[in-house]
Amino acid sequence: MALALAACLCFASGFLIVSLAWERQSSDLLLRASLAVGFGLGLFSVVFFVGRVFGLSHWITVDFVVTAILLAAYLPRRNRLSPTPSNTEQILPPWFRHTLIAALAIALGCALYAAVRRALAHPHGDGWDAFAIWNLHARFLFLGGPHWRDGFSPLIPWSHPDYPLLLPAAIAHFWGYLGHDDPSVPAVVGFLFEFSTVALLFSALARLRGSTSAMLGSIALLLTPSFLELGAWQYADIPLSFFFLATLALLHLQDDEHSRLGARPGSLGFLVLAGLSAGFAAWTKNEGVLFLCSLVIARPVILLFRRDASNDPSGEPRARQIAPFLLAAAPIFLLIIYFKRFVAPPGDLFSALGTILHRLLDPARYSTILHWMWSTKAFVVFGQWALIPAPLVMLGYAFITRGKRRIDRTFRISVLALALTLAGYFVIYVITPYDLLWHLRFSFVRLCLQLWPSAIFLFFLKVPGRPDATANAS
Amino acid sequence: MEQPVAKFPLRVIIATLAFILLCLASSIRILRDAPAHANTDPIPNLSDLRFAVLKTALPQQGVVGYIGESGNAALGQYYLAQYALAPLVVDRSTNHSLVIGNFPMAQPALPPELHLVKDFGNGVLLFANEGAR
Repeated sequence: MALALAACLCFASGFLIVSLAWERQSSDLLLRASLAVGFGLGLFSVVFFVGRVFGLSHWITVDFVVTAILLAAYLPRRNRLSPTPSNTEQILPPWFRHTLIAALAIALGCALYAAVRRALAHPHGDGWDAFAIWNLHARFLFLGGPHWRDGFSPLIPWSHPDYPLLLPAAIAHFWGYLGHDDPSVPAVVGFLFEFSTVALLFSALARLRGSTSAMLGSIALLLTPSFLELGAWQYADIPLSFFFLATLALLHLQDDEHSRLGARPGSLGFLVLAGLSAGFAAWTKNEGVLFLCSLVIARPVILLFRRDASNDPSGEPRARQIAPFLLAAAPIFLLIIYFKRFVAPPGDLFSALGTILHRLLDPARYSTILHWMWSTKAFVVFGQWALIPAPLVMLGYAFITRGKRRIDRTFRISVLALALTLAGYFVIYVITPYDLLWHLRFSFVRLCLQLWPSAIFLFFLKVPGRPDATANAS
Repeated sequence: MEQPVAKFPLRVIIATLAFILLCLASSIRILRDAPAHANTDPIPNLSDLRFAVLKTALPQQGVVGYIGESGNAALGQYYLAQYALAPLVVDRSTNHSLVIGNFPMAQPALPPELHLVKDFGNGVLLFANEGAR
């Protein structure tokens, strides 16, 4: 009962946040619901951490107050929303559509079966990071009471006490309702993030491109074996992939909104949600900070090549376009700064600047990384696919189905942001204090999987290329 | 007003079907790799269950030391001990007034400063180090 109440309040608060910023009352229920899962868990984690800092412990009261505030903010807005324009999706032959639906059903069935079996077999997660980092931090946050900061002691550096706390704090928040550290909570949270990522991918593509792309993208993600495996490990990489995808999807939704309806005063809700999502990504793992920085850098780089330096073709000043994004991310960024400054000890990556510089200037490290990537082909086979790796299949698919593809600014920014994030990962390997080959072997696949849902999203936004439309003569 | 109908070229339909088939090939691997039996997780036996009684004899907060076996499994055993004993901080050092001993296989020679407080069985011991700073 307590757990059900916690789940309801978590989901409700996430749904209210999303709906507050949603541009219109629409049939985007799956899209809003999938975003609500991640945003609700993100908010739950922030509330718990802030509550711990201020010594709060009556979580039901706190959560009711937070949800009530969000509801009070949402209700006046609800009547002013406008209907969604109709989807102009291309019409498929019925047998083709039925084949797609059947394939998606098979993919979803397989994925659900595997995820449930894995969760039942390994309720404490698989691999070390679940009990050595994420669930350990959750235990310290929950069981530590006033001494919760002990969990971030420099005496246990192997637990990475500098890692952000979205996952541990959200788990600890649910434990607060139960009164004990039930291992099913992290398993369920992992499951929710895993399948909310799929639901988000499907619904975002359906809204932006149509159901065909949505089904193809979802099939590609559901049938990535290592994505399902990692989801059951209870690591933070899948939650991070959710927030990466959410950020990029929301940026494209903002663009789509402007192209349909033009810029309207106050129509920046999707940008605000995108900023919040990027903030949650940074609160999930340190790679999220890199992603946020990559997005902030990518935008001016792309805009630099536009002729009009000050205004977007929609007539909106460019500063106004970025400000809501940054303002929404700011509170969570401040929280991260507080955590890093006043709670966590220094991280292991940037501890000795002289050594970092030495490694950056060592060409052998670069060649080791490149040689490892080339010899293992890890950037292609990271998904552990049977037969042909999906990236190669997708490349071939893109070539065969080439058609009209309009590459817009937001798409370019998204691709550049992902590329910069990958480049950042490369630099992290160059400067890592750990054994380089060990670090590559045990983390590179997970880094690829963090970006994989976003890569699928961007791919199926443009592929297959749009065929020529001809009017039907009656 | 008539809705424009997009024509899907045959190559797109064939390519899409091929894409789907190649993706579905991985479903076999996914099903094959799914664990056959529920609750085969060794973690509870190596952590919470193993240290349950010891935990009741320790303070609720603070720092304790740790000494364990050597070898490949030693690091994981230490991490699982910390997981089980949270919110106590378990420092992999004997320089604490209380030191946990974790010897699932065999107990090696112990430092002379450690004095046995209690043997909880199954290789779980509690030591005192009166000389600890």
